Amino acid sequence: MSEELTKVRFTNLNKIIFPQEKITKKQLIKYYIKIAPKILPILKNRALVLNRFPNGINKNGFYEKNAAKGTPVWVKTTKITSKTGKTKTNYIICNDLDTLIWIANLASIEMHMPLSTIDKLEKPDFIFFDIDPEPPATIKEASTVSLLLRDKLKKIGFKSYIKTSGKKGLHILIPIKPNKSFKLARKFVHKIGIELSKENHKIVSELSETKKPGKIFVDYLQNAQGRTIASPYSLRANPKAVVSTPLEWSEIQKGIKPSQFNINTVIKREKTPWKNILNNKQEF
Amino acid sequence: MIEKTPSSKRPIWTGRLTIGLVNLPLKLFPMIHNKAISFRFLHKIDGHPLKYQKVCTKDDKVVPWDEVAKGYEVSKNMYVMLEPKELEAIKPESNKKIRIAKFVDYLSVDPIYYNKSYILMPDNSKEAYSLLLTSLQKKGKAAVGKITLRTKEYPVLVHAYKGALVLTTIRYSYDVANPQEFKELKTLEKPEKTQLEIANKIIQDLSDEFEINEFEDQYKKKAEQLIQQKLKGQTIKVEEPQKEEAKELMVALRETLKQLQNK
Repeated sequence: MSEELTKVRFTNLNKIIFPQEKITKKQLIKYYIKIAPKILPILKNRALVLNRFPNGINKNGFYEKNAAKGTPVWVKTTKITSKTGKTKTNYIICNDLDTLIWIANLASIEMHMPLSTIDKLEKPDFIFFDIDPEPPATIKEASTVSLLLRDKLKKIGFKSYIKTSGKKGLHILIPIKPNKSFKLARKFVHKIGIELSKENHKIVSELSETKKPGKIFVDYLQNAQGRTIASPYSLRANPKAVVSTPLEWSEIQKGIKPSQFNINTVIKREKTPWKNILNNKQEF
Repeated sequence: MIEKTPSSKRPIWTGRLTIGLVNLPLKLFPMIHNKAISFRFLHKIDGHPLKYQKVCTKDDKVVPWDEVAKGYEVSKNMYVMLEPKELEAIKPESNKKIRIAKFVDYLSVDPIYYNKSYILMPDNSKEAYSLLLTSLQKKGKAAVGKITLRTKEYPVLVHAYKGALVLTTIRYSYDVANPQEFKELKTLEKPEKTQLEIANKIIQDLSDEFEINEFEDQYKKKAEQLIQQKLKGQTIKVEEPQKEEAKELMVALRETLKQLQNK
């Protein structure tokens, strides 16, 4: 008998998931296998939300919070009671390669993670800035704002990390020691947003202003328990199979196009910009 | 399941029956089938069948076939190890013969000694076959002899059964325990005459012909019903091993596993 490399039994490998690029589920799984050493440490002990597209991205996908029936027993899950106490959700925890492969085999393109881990649900270990450009503003303007933000954070003593959202924006994260509340994190991000908006009229800090053309919104609202963000190295359900990719600040300075970081290119990247992010939890 | 007719089946043995200088070419077919229901062990957790492995009692490690030898336990935990070559040398020769030594009354052989029966068919020897069959039938006799099947030698009876010659292997006497070894039998008392008469009466009233078709394995029947019910509802589907198309993923997996190990 051949050796068992994984507990997962692959199914429908030749199913097309990204029709425009003719990318199959096999390639989707291969991507997650290859990216495993980079993505697994970040996903560790986080209650995941999957965005599944069993029939490809041109058909409806769905978000899955609750581990589906038929989830193998070796997949770690955790029951979390909602804040209102009304619902209990059995979330998937992806701490090993087999679980990651199993998730990919569900045609789960996107992985969304909360900003806290299961052992300290109410204390974030990341502060999160979502830099969201409203057309005609593009990634270029978002990059400019991100660099301003980076400098501002640096001045007050925080080292920040940037990734593409995989769509049109950028995500900036500060890894912190999980000993402060989400409320405090949210207030902090909001305050920074307000300060930035005073310095640059294109930047907005309030949700009500986001739909104004050409503005860049510094979104603070995801800093809340139970909210999730696209995890670093998550594929996104867009036609070119773009990846939410951790970047060096120097890459932002030079200028990037989000779609250059996709299912084919990201696994070949030698840069590991977020390598030490989990060893750099800062006091907030 | 489709039952093949015996004639289309392959014989498990071909050879000849010899009585003195007379030879009767024959083919041997199995007669006894165990149709009891059988199950496989599954892993409760994922529904996959379990397999057996030979594990060394010293270190609990799996032992490959080429490291397996046979041993005979001469005293507790003392073994004489025997090489396959040595065992090969003493194997009885399969000489393709059923050597008949004598004829006995068929009913004089206690059924306790019957082991397993096989159907004998003529092998281009219908005349001689018919002759032997008819004479055994008429006299109620059975031929006593020996046969070597695979690596074992068995005493056999060749007798008539439902218009065919049937070969029944016979147990060695040392394989059958003597009930008189039980002390309890030594102290049995003779029954009283009146009680014996009552017992005889009961037996007589209940006397009938033996009818094999009255018996049916109720457990097998119920188990089959249970299986049918389960088939309609939920069953455990065994997934096939990873297919060829997953090969590329296996290559990627190996690389990633290596990387994760090196961390």
